[in-house]
Amino acid sequence: MVGFVLLTIADLLINNKGWQWDVVGQHLFSESVLDGVVRTIQLTVLAELLGITVGIALAVMRLSPNPVLAWTSATVTWVFRGIPALVLLLFIYYFSALVPRLSIGIPFGPSWGDWETNKVITQMTAAVVGLGLAQAGYVAEIVRGGILSVPPGQTRAALALGMPPLRVMRHIVFPQAMRVVVPPLGNEVISMLKATSLVSVIAYAELLTTVQVIYSRTFEQIPLLLVAVIWYGFLTTILTVVQSYIERRLAKSQKISRSAR
Amino acid sequence: MNSESLTRGSIPVPAAGPMVFARGVFKSYGGADVLRGVDLEVQKGEVVCIIGPSGSGKSTFLRCINHLESIGGGSISVDGELVGYRQQGRKLFELPLSQICERRKEIGMVFQHFELFPHMTVLENLMIAPKVVTRRDTAEVKAYALSLLDKVGLVARANSYPSELSGGQQQRVAIARALVMKPKLMLFDEPTSALDPELVGEVLTVMRDLAASGMTMIVVTHEMAFARDVADRVVVMDAGRIIEDERPEVLFTAPRTDRARALLERLVPHASRAPEPT
Repeated sequence: MVGFVLLTIADLLINNKGWQWDVVGQHLFSESVLDGVVRTIQLTVLAELLGITVGIALAVMRLSPNPVLAWTSATVTWVFRGIPALVLLLFIYYFSALVPRLSIGIPFGPSWGDWETNKVITQMTAAVVGLGLAQAGYVAEIVRGGILSVPPGQTRAALALGMPPLRVMRHIVFPQAMRVVVPPLGNEVISMLKATSLVSVIAYAELLTTVQVIYSRTFEQIPLLLVAVIWYGFLTTILTVVQSYIERRLAKSQKISRSAR
Repeated sequence: MNSESLTRGSIPVPAAGPMVFARGVFKSYGGADVLRGVDLEVQKGEVVCIIGPSGSGKSTFLRCINHLESIGGGSISVDGELVGYRQQGRKLFELPLSQICERRKEIGMVFQHFELFPHMTVLENLMIAPKVVTRRDTAEVKAYALSLLDKVGLVARANSYPSELSGGQQQRVAIARALVMKPKLMLFDEPTSALDPELVGEVLTVMRDLAASGMTMIVVTHEMAFARDVADRVVVMDAGRIIEDERPEVLFTAPRTDRARALLERLVPHASRAPEPT
């Protein structure tokens, strides 16, 4: 049965002329596609950095004894997780309709400079901010779980030594939370790589948008989508290898600590 | 900085007074009163053991001394300064975090479950706090850390990870880690309760040496032999209060309260299990 299905798929891959493997080969390393790949990588890295930074801040705020910080974090996380990434992306892209000019200053008070929203929020910034914030909500929950996995006695011991709470987080809690945080965070990075394709809706020229532009001209949809699939697959494979490498290294350095308890 | 000078003006005890001065310490958790007016004075260089049934509030009281727990009423001062609070008029205000950390540096603490940092070597465990908290020179800190490891007999294990050590060795490292901050006062929260009986002795030996060197110590313990031999005073806590506070030779022979007598009857045979360090 499985063999039959596999044979059918093989037949589809090899004998169907619709794939137009020659067109695939022609575009796979073309300049515009490579540009798209580079932009996809850039976007993934920047959005993920933003997501992780904001996510860690949200997680730390959520666990703060200060109720205002904890409540703010819970609300922000709820909002970012509640809005589909695609909607968030569009919302930020069209933000200028809501706030035509951005200014830096005290709310209701004086301002030290302002800019036209449309100049600040380009397709690039909208893409990074939209994907990054959507990611931050998930990262916050992952990091929070990691922090909670570290026994509270560790924090008490570090505080008793006179270490300030944020230093305790950085030197004592985070390094131990990593073991719990890295595997799900790796999955998030891989999802982010693929989620970058969403930004084709605001016409940022990453990989998917690039191939769409080409096939809208040549009408070779299938081969060009195949080009995108090959690149996404390749990048995902690299990330998977990196992820399992990091996990193995962490497992090695933490094997020691696990047996300590 | 401002609030520090305010505190100076209204110190509850002069600097030459006791190391620890607790008055009417009150604490409750969600409606349950854990501490109900604890008064305790510990003089400089004194070793005080606190014993009591579980749930009597002894560990909580210990944590109040270095402000790991806030207090609901009363006051605690260490070496003439309030811990975690400043006084203004008749009211106490919690200090900003930076100043709480400043006070905690002077108070070492040793925990039942050691709480060594598992992702660091023994030496790194000792060096992290001085590195992060004070601006002491790294080479000097390292030399001092190694000298402390030598004192607890573990200088050979400086580059081991905590999990590679026995429980007794881990607790000795934990004591050295607390000492590296050069504390004025050491708090021990059941330091031998999590150890196999044959490992208790080596930890008690280190604690005896420390007491002999003149360190002020408050030890929550069930080790009656240690209390009898090393403590200047033994304090019995029950239901959030101190019910006896006596020299050990008096307490162990003639406890005043029935509750203390019942407790001692349960604990003293247990103490004979601990091997006497030679």
